[in-house]
Amino acid sequence: MTQPHAADPPEPKTILVCDDEESLRELIRAVLGPEYRYLECEDGEEALELIRAESPDLVVLDVMLPRRNGLEVLAELRRDPQHGKTPVIVVTAWSYAVDAAASAGADVFLPKPFEPEHLKGTVEELIG
Amino acid sequence: MTIAESQTQTQSQTERRRLVSTLRGLESRLVLASIVFAVLIASVFGALVLAVSGLRDATRAEADANQRTVNTLSLENRVLNVEAATRGYVVTHRRPFYVAWQQAKTGLEAQLPNFDKQFETPLQRQRAEDVVTSIRSYLRDYSTLIVDLAITDPAAARSQDAATENRRYIKDVRDRFKTLQDAEASATRDQTRSANQHSRQAIVGGIVGLTVSALLIVLFGAFLARSIARPLRAAAAGASDVASGDLTTRLQETGPGEVGDLARSFNDMTERLEERNAQLAQQNARLRESERLKAELISIVSHELRTPLASVLGFTSLLLQRDFEDAERRRYLGIVDAQSRRLAELLNDFLDAQRVEEGRLEMSFEPLDLASLLREQAQLFAGQSDAHEIRLDLDNEPFLIVGDRDRLGQVLANLLSNAIKYSPDGGIVELSGERENGVVRVQVRDEGRGIPRAEQPRIFTKFFRGDAGASGIGGTGLGLALAREIVEAHGGHIGFKSEVGTGSTFWFEVPTDRGPETN
Repeated sequence: MTQPHAADPPEPKTILVCDDEESLRELIRAVLGPEYRYLECEDGEEALELIRAESPDLVVLDVMLPRRNGLEVLAELRRDPQHGKTPVIVVTAWSYAVDAAASAGADVFLPKPFEPEHLKGTVEELIG
Repeated sequence: MTIAESQTQTQSQTERRRLVSTLRGLESRLVLASIVFAVLIASVFGALVLAVSGLRDATRAEADANQRTVNTLSLENRVLNVEAATRGYVVTHRRPFYVAWQQAKTGLEAQLPNFDKQFETPLQRQRAEDVVTSIRSYLRDYSTLIVDLAITDPAAARSQDAATENRRYIKDVRDRFKTLQDAEASATRDQTRSANQHSRQAIVGGIVGLTVSALLIVLFGAFLARSIARPLRAAAAGASDVASGDLTTRLQETGPGEVGDLARSFNDMTERLEERNAQLAQQNARLRESERLKAELISIVSHELRTPLASVLGFTSLLLQRDFEDAERRRYLGIVDAQSRRLAELLNDFLDAQRVEEGRLEMSFEPLDLASLLREQAQLFAGQSDAHEIRLDLDNEPFLIVGDRDRLGQVLANLLSNAIKYSPDGGIVELSGERENGVVRVQVRDEGRGIPRAEQPRIFTKFFRGDAGASGIGGTGLGLALAREIVEAHGGHIGFKSEVGTGSTFWFEVPTDRGPETN
């Protein structure tokens, strides 16, 4: 017996990955798998534009970004009435940025290098 | 200051000091002043001694004069005795009077020959002689005659005429005595008066001389106080200022001889201390800077290593945990490979930096064509960024030089990757090369953010990255420092010009006509 109203596959959630290292963007995509839709960018200015244009469900943000760094992007995002509540995971090699990231409004702080399954679990927890 | 200059200065200082100590040294001044005081005081005492001895002479002369007066009075007395005995015998005609007369006369005559010898001036001696002559005349012409007459004719001897004659002789003798005595008294008085006057003058002179000496000594003391004690006090105050850390303290270089020398030496000393202090402060600043650079190095190393390490670890653990299709797996392994190579390169950079630090950056020189190296690097970077256009401006001739191909490639790669990294908005990166005046000049021009003027002097300093870290631009801050080392090891130069907002042009030149400098 088939279900008469098999539900349409749910619309995949959108994740914005912002990191100026292409290999790391690819790693994040590979870790999280094909069940998400991905937006990618290399600098902070672009990240803000994409968030406003595409309203992603989650943002994975590097701190050291050209033009505007990740913490500035995060602070501005939190002031945005429309997209201010978007969950943000800050991933960085700067371990000292943990406090700054928390005070800028990061939901999770992941130091590089990170455990792939840890990232996947965190993302599922936030938007699963 | 050069060695020659400092020698000249030392020489002139020594000369100056010698001149000062011989001509107007404080020591010689003090000796001179002491001599003047000694002479002054000695002459005052000399004058006083003269006055005292003058007084003593005057006293002795007065005693002599008194003795002469006594002698004169005693002679006059003897004359009166003779006269009394003469008259006694004439009146009484008795023998005892005759004997007395004879005795008085003999006594008187004995005194006469030497009487005038005791007087000093010829005039007084003359007067004494007159006295003696008058007495002799009385004895010879009256006394002896009247006594002889009294023996033969006593009545005639007692006559009025004889008495008158007697008075006349005696008066003459007395007058002579009076003249002598008066002159003697007046001479003695004069002598005493002049002795007194001299002694008074000597005393006054002595008092004045001593007062003047005392005054001069006080003045000299004041001079010493002014010219020695005061500068010394200033030097002491200056020294304690220096001790409490104020090295700008300077003394006035005036002051006599050694005092001025002291001030000059003091100033020399503080000047040198100040220089030394400035050197130490500079050294300190350099040390602090190097400390800061070390801290920066650790932070840069940890960050720069972590990024590729994150890829390597992430993909390997992903490959271990999940199954991927062949093509996907191969791509991931490719990334792992590339990032591992990047790690190795970073390690090489740090090792190179260490080698530069220790002065043993090794090069292997060989003839090579720099133009082909430029083409190679331009191609390599052309595919790296979509936002940038790499242009190559090069004639079709080889640039033959002697150099280390890998190291020069490293320099080019560094300049090109900087040009791309520091123009985040994309644009044209132009690589050009030309040969001129025995050098090959290579330029990399970008349209990037440029380097702020304040940061320009430090751009070749190891680990210096300006605000690149905060702007999210990765890197170790070693590239340009290494590039300079490499270019200079080829006997060349490296430089740049840059303007914020317009872009930067980095260039280097290596000689074509001579071999590289050997290290």
